[in-house]
Amino acid sequence: MAHAHSVKRYKGLMDWLTTVDHKKIAILYLLSGGLFFAIGGFEAILIRLQLIKPMNDMLEAQTFNELITMHGTTMIFLGVMPIVFALMNAIIPLQIGARDVAFPFLNSLGFWTFLFGGILLNLSWVMGGAPDAGWTSYTPLSSTMYSPSHGVDFYTVGLQIAGLGTLIGGLNFLATIITMRAPGMSYMRMPMFTWASFVTSAMILFAFPAITVGLVLLTFDRVLGANFFNVDGGGNPVLWQHIFWIFGHPEVYILILPAFGIISEVIPTFARKRLFGYSSMVFATILIAFLGFMVWAHHMFTTGLGPVANALFSISTMLIAVPTGIKIFNWLFTMWGGQVKFNTANLFAVGFIPTFTMGGVTGVMLASAPADFQFHDTYFVVAHFHYVIVGGMVFGLLSGLHYWWPKMFGRVLNETLGKWTFWTFAIGFHMTFFVQHFLGLMGMQRRVFTYLPNQGFDTMNLVSTVGAFLMGVGIIFFTINIIKSFMQPKGCANDPWEDGRTLEWTIPSPPPEYNFKQIPLVRGLDAYWKEKAAGNTEMTPAEPIGPIHMPSPTIIPFVMSVGIFIAGLGLMFSGEEFSSSFMSFIFNNWIVCGLGLLITFGSMLMRSLFDDHGWHIEPEEFEEEGYKHG
Amino acid sequence: MTVDEQNKHQLVNQRHRHEGPQKHIVAFIFSIVLTLIAFAAVGAGGVNPAFTIIILLVMAVLQVFVQMGYWMHLKDKGHMIPIIFMLGGFFVAGTAIITALSWMWW
Amino acid sequence: MANVHTEHGNGQLPQYPEKATLEGRNKILAFWLFLGGEAVLFGTLFATFLTLRNQTNEGPTAAELFSLPLTAAATFILLVSSLTSVFAIQALHRHKVKELITWLIVTVLLGIGFLALEIYEFYEYMHLENFGMTTSAFSSAFYTLVGFHGAHVAFGVLWIGVLIGQLYKKGLTVVTAPKIYVSAMYWHFIDVVWVFIFTVVYLLGKVG
Repeated sequence: MAHAHSVKRYKGLMDWLTTVDHKKIAILYLLSGGLFFAIGGFEAILIRLQLIKPMNDMLEAQTFNELITMHGTTMIFLGVMPIVFALMNAIIPLQIGARDVAFPFLNSLGFWTFLFGGILLNLSWVMGGAPDAGWTSYTPLSSTMYSPSHGVDFYTVGLQIAGLGTLIGGLNFLATIITMRAPGMSYMRMPMFTWASFVTSAMILFAFPAITVGLVLLTFDRVLGANFFNVDGGGNPVLWQHIFWIFGHPEVYILILPAFGIISEVIPTFARKRLFGYSSMVFATILIAFLGFMVWAHHMFTTGLGPVANALFSISTMLIAVPTGIKIFNWLFTMWGGQVKFNTANLFAVGFIPTFTMGGVTGVMLASAPADFQFHDTYFVVAHFHYVIVGGMVFGLLSGLHYWWPKMFGRVLNETLGKWTFWTFAIGFHMTFFVQHFLGLMGMQRRVFTYLPNQGFDTMNLVSTVGAFLMGVGIIFFTINIIKSFMQPKGCANDPWEDGRTLEWTIPSPPPEYNFKQIPLVRGLDAYWKEKAAGNTEMTPAEPIGPIHMPSPTIIPFVMSVGIFIAGLGLMFSGEEFSSSFMSFIFNNWIVCGLGLLITFGSMLMRSLFDDHGWHIEPEEFEEEGYKHG
Repeated sequence: MTVDEQNKHQLVNQRHRHEGPQKHIVAFIFSIVLTLIAFAAVGAGGVNPAFTIIILLVMAVLQVFVQMGYWMHLKDKGHMIPIIFMLGGFFVAGTAIITALSWMWW
Repeated sequence: MANVHTEHGNGQLPQYPEKATLEGRNKILAFWLFLGGEAVLFGTLFATFLTLRNQTNEGPTAAELFSLPLTAAATFILLVSSLTSVFAIQALHRHKVKELITWLIVTVLLGIGFLALEIYEFYEYMHLENFGMTTSAFSSAFYTLVGFHGAHVAFGVLWIGVLIGQLYKKGLTVVTAPKIYVSAMYWHFIDVVWVFIFTVVYLLGKVG
């Protein structure tokens, strides 16, 4: 069976550009997600600085609009999503006992399209102004009449490309989880993080095509002069709101479900108890996903949909509190009676519970349509979604990063610095956003670039800004911790927490290229814990030792994404009048756009024509990688 | 290819010949009939529009069953996951369409 | 992944070559998932069209514009191509490469015929009826929905065309079989979308 195909192995930068290894792609996602997270964070600091005192003139209104738009868009699509994808990539194949994802090529393609989409969006800062219509880009504000610069074009095209990458990634995880599970791992034996990722990926699959259409329509309105949202031509701006939120509301559950999954891994590990109510957790996750597609119009209560629609969406929204409540109680019961260890990963996980619950409670308040008429477009809403996204998602991510860092990089993060990270970030977070509830109730509107003095807003805005800086300090502690960890040598134990429950802790940290020398046999939920309880130190293998087939590295995904990037730029500037006649010629005649598409489809053709036979790792090569037990 | 293998190959081919084109031609004729009914309902005129719309939708849904069930093999065993995900897709598509009909204009 | 044969070596082709390898099965499964996503994509486009179909902005209306014989011809062509695509897959299961290629070529030709009708239709509307992308919200929605479907057909034609070339060069193997199977699934799905387009856009347009 061992056909020795010679394969070109790259080193250095080329290795990273051509890799199809899920663990390296995870690191690429983490790096680029971290970069965009830093950019979004910097934008947040600028926003808070502008609002530190009444009638501040540090920023102009236009710049402020661009900052809030880019802060929201960057954080959601380019910061948090890729970090989720980093953890999913790094951990899911390990948790299900697989050697890679189902489609390593698509995995790489998904990453590069996401990255080029993100780069395109952020290029707007230096190419004539960032998008300024809010992260929701409501029409007519985002029409060419009110946003004449190319800002919103960068938004539509950049998000379109990045969204394509996300969709490809989601599809890949679905196929991976359905088909690549180790023998014995039935659906109801999958770890909760895998379950959450599975459901999240399904939501990505069903939600992202909607925004694809929305963005196409907006692009056609802006570039081709179509009339979808243009009232003069018979269009309807409410259509954009519906399409955006049919995608947008599932999107926020796409953000939070992986965090639920992470918390459900961290809490049992550090409580040394199995997760309370595993099957109800699975059920609740699916129910949240299902209900998540039926609540979108609660973002539009004040649009004027009428009492029937408002009542319906009010009720469906409140229903979501039920499965979410089940989850909260399950986490609490998991800790109850356990030997809880409060290290950094667990601090973030435990801190998540009350913080997220507060965000959930304001969510139920907002779900009440009559009350929402008061809350709508005030800082109360800003406080609510930051409690669920930062207090939920980001806490979850930081927990997961501390927890799985040893597995990803073979180095444990420093606990002292970790605790500083937690306390500064958590206190900073509550300082920033707790007061915003009251600012909103007192009538401070969101998205305003300044406010008048002596309305009772002054002190709380100052507190909020100081809190934002404290959160920044927390992130700096985390960065120092990362840098410090890379100054130690690699090589922590397979199971550095000693209480690991799932398959990823049975293999070296970081895992070898092929993950598992032998695919393990899974004999129950929490497969590794089960073996530990039976007195075994390792998993029973489900196959004999043999040569391992590996996919070949390839540059094609990178080239394809460059092609899409060029096509996107060509589309955006197709109607532009350039000072150079040559530039006008190639853009106005769709030559640039066509060239980009040619590169993309040409690469696709190459991929189809030339089969990838892959290559094999022979058993003799296993030992070099060092299979340590600990 | 040994004689034995050739024989097996023959057998396999024999078995496959049973699944001839007849079944699919019947499905095809069925779908053509459905299409004709739909076009006739509109082309004939004079029929109550509300009734016509119901006929059109029923014909379309039956067509989908022919295409997806028979020609895309969804009726066969081992298609649980595809069915779940197609239904998921249709469900979300359905919410968008219901929205378009209910909450877009007032 | 040690158990994956991408080479068929001296062994004969398995009964269902498209499902013989893990890669093949993964491809088919993932394509189903992708079609679930495509259903949402077209669902949203249909929702857009249904919202805007009476917003003619004093331009031509659906009833004035559409011609039922043209739509019927296009529908017939696409339905027949669905049948020929089924025949292609049956030939694949019987390992009859020549027959398979013939049916695929017929499918592609029918696809090209459909596209030709659509291009002719769009040309008529744009140049004779003064019905362009910018005319009204109805026109924007019409061109986007029907155009998206047309672009899918065009992609399918190119895709199956490339696969025919691969069949000539590489023959029917466990690598080429899943590709052909998946392209047939795609083709049927396009047909399903067209069923809704001729119903919702053309017939409903005539009903009013």
